[in-house]
Amino acid sequence: MLKIENLHASVDGKKILKGINLEVGAGQVHAIMGPNGSGKSTLSNVIAGRDGYEITAGSVTYHGKNLLEMSPEERAWEGVFLAFQYPVEIPGVNNVYLLKAGVNAKRKHMGLPELDAMDFMHIVKEKAALVELDQSFLSRGVNEGFSGGEKKRNEIFQMAVLEPSLAILDETDSGLDIDALRIVANGVNKLRSPERSIVMVTHYQRLLDYIEPDVVHVLVDGKVLKSGDKSLALELEERGYDWVREEVAA
Amino acid sequence: MTQAVEAVRQQARDVFASIGLPGKRNEDWKYSDLSRLQTALGENWQQTTEVSGVDAETVKQAAIPGLDAYRAVFVNGHFQPDNSVMPEGVSLLSLKTLVEEQPGVASDLLLPHPDAPLYNGLNALNSATAADGLALCIADQIQLDKPLYVLHLGKADAAGKTAAMRHGLMLGKFAEATLIEHFVGLDEEPGLTSVVNYSHLKEGSSLKHYRIQQENLKQFHVGRVDVRQAEDSSYRLHSVEIGCALSRADIVVSLEGAGASCELNGLFVSGGRQHVDHHTRVDHVAPHCSSRENYRSVLDGRARAVFNGKIVVHKGAIKTDSAQSNANLLLSKNAEIDTKPELEIYNDDVKCAHGATVGQLDENQLFYLKSRGLSEDEARQVLTFAFADEVLTGIDSKAVRRFIEFAAFAKLPNLTDLEGLLG
Repeated sequence: MLKIENLHASVDGKKILKGINLEVGAGQVHAIMGPNGSGKSTLSNVIAGRDGYEITAGSVTYHGKNLLEMSPEERAWEGVFLAFQYPVEIPGVNNVYLLKAGVNAKRKHMGLPELDAMDFMHIVKEKAALVELDQSFLSRGVNEGFSGGEKKRNEIFQMAVLEPSLAILDETDSGLDIDALRIVANGVNKLRSPERSIVMVTHYQRLLDYIEPDVVHVLVDGKVLKSGDKSLALELEERGYDWVREEVAA
Repeated sequence: MTQAVEAVRQQARDVFASIGLPGKRNEDWKYSDLSRLQTALGENWQQTTEVSGVDAETVKQAAIPGLDAYRAVFVNGHFQPDNSVMPEGVSLLSLKTLVEEQPGVASDLLLPHPDAPLYNGLNALNSATAADGLALCIADQIQLDKPLYVLHLGKADAAGKTAAMRHGLMLGKFAEATLIEHFVGLDEEPGLTSVVNYSHLKEGSSLKHYRIQQENLKQFHVGRVDVRQAEDSSYRLHSVEIGCALSRADIVVSLEGAGASCELNGLFVSGGRQHVDHHTRVDHVAPHCSSRENYRSVLDGRARAVFNGKIVVHKGAIKTDSAQSNANLLLSKNAEIDTKPELEIYNDDVKCAHGATVGQLDENQLFYLKSRGLSEDEARQVLTFAFADEVLTGIDSKAVRRFIEFAAFAKLPNLTDLEGLLG
């Protein structure tokens, strides 16, 4: 399980996260909602280990281990996965190679033998079907020439293959039309399991129509101001974020 | 030696005596210093080496594995008929034989051209001293059914330090051929490889040319590739620089017939104190011609690379279509690249694009790969490889491409699954 306590983080001296507290249990799906600039993407990136963020206070532990002391790849080996808001294109490195290298690095870390090419391809094809990703995408460069929707589907496909125990979906719904959203959401729903925690960072309630969260958090100005069940998301959709600020201030 | 050939050799010696070794005073050589040639190789540096044979096993070890090709093996610039497999039905002679049997043709091939673009003293010296080479003439309509693989082996020899070769290729109308030149050092002794390659492409003919420089790390290499193209002919070069202390190549292409096209691809993979320098010059003389240049370098340690790409669009060359790109990846803060595109355009009806980039690995790409579980080292190597490999995508021989990839990236130990990476 993921436990975040009093997390403070800055970028270039500017305070972005100002004391986040969050606990995500095994098998749970949490949604983190908030307006632009509230710190949603910073939180995702800090959990995944991207450079450029200064942690000034607090802790992030996962399965009792201090995540903040680990490199991004060590976090991946421990089961952390970030579905990027803007997946980068990497021409010349093909998708299957990346996934095979990722899966085998994790297996090695866990003391398991590497998967052979046949077994691996079998898994890959099965998982590609999950997000209706055409087989031809597999041998292409990572995200190379993919449309916005294809990139997001590819992220969920990677999640399916890498089988993380904690997946952070950073604005996975943004830029998707309704058909693509349905495909991505179906993929995520099929990956829900009692062992897997999912944190969805999103702007819009729309995603939550398709992926039902156990808990909804409201992130404003670098703090979780309110938490509740899925009805909170509907209320945010209707009333915006200001009332949460006012309620907390009162 | 016949009188005609001796006269040309003397003419070349005179040219060298007057222009000397290229140096800092020549604009085209301001980054590359040949003054250490003499200190590195000694007084007899320009003395050509004697032939000394190699056994079949040595050839096999050095050669590109799995390549189905005709093979011409040279040792220190001397043709080795015993280790060679020559095509039939085309005219292919060693320069030595040509000098004896067709001295007029040999003289033409050896003639110095001091007014040609990028001409330098070593080219003249090559005319004066080239001991051997190949003269290939492919008749109209003939397609060479397999590539011609020319393997140059360098071997230490106290008698002289220079291996000088001169090749001439003549492709008849609509003829097709693939030439693979591969330079390999058999030991770690310094020497000079001097090779000049003249190709004439007649109407509609097509030449694919691979040039793989994999000499020892103390070697000097100076090459010139000179191509003249008639209408609708096509020339495609992949030039790969891996070895040598100093390697310089001048690639000079003249598009003389309407509709001719050339594609120049270059890849430098250098480290330590290696120095590599390519000057390319493409003359668009005729209308409706196209030229493409794509050069990339990966530089580590204190390596230094130079890329100078000059395009000259002549007055009558309307509808010229030219594009040039040079991208450089510096893996160390002490590595250096000097890149310079030069355009001279003498008419208005042209399309010319050029661009050069110098940079390090992309942090976003690195983070992405690491977030999927690749270690820092592996992520860096994968991205380095992908950057360089882009130049090789147009190679249609899998054996050649794989060989280059393994040879160039032997220094990247974590890439255990190269085949997988390439998909």
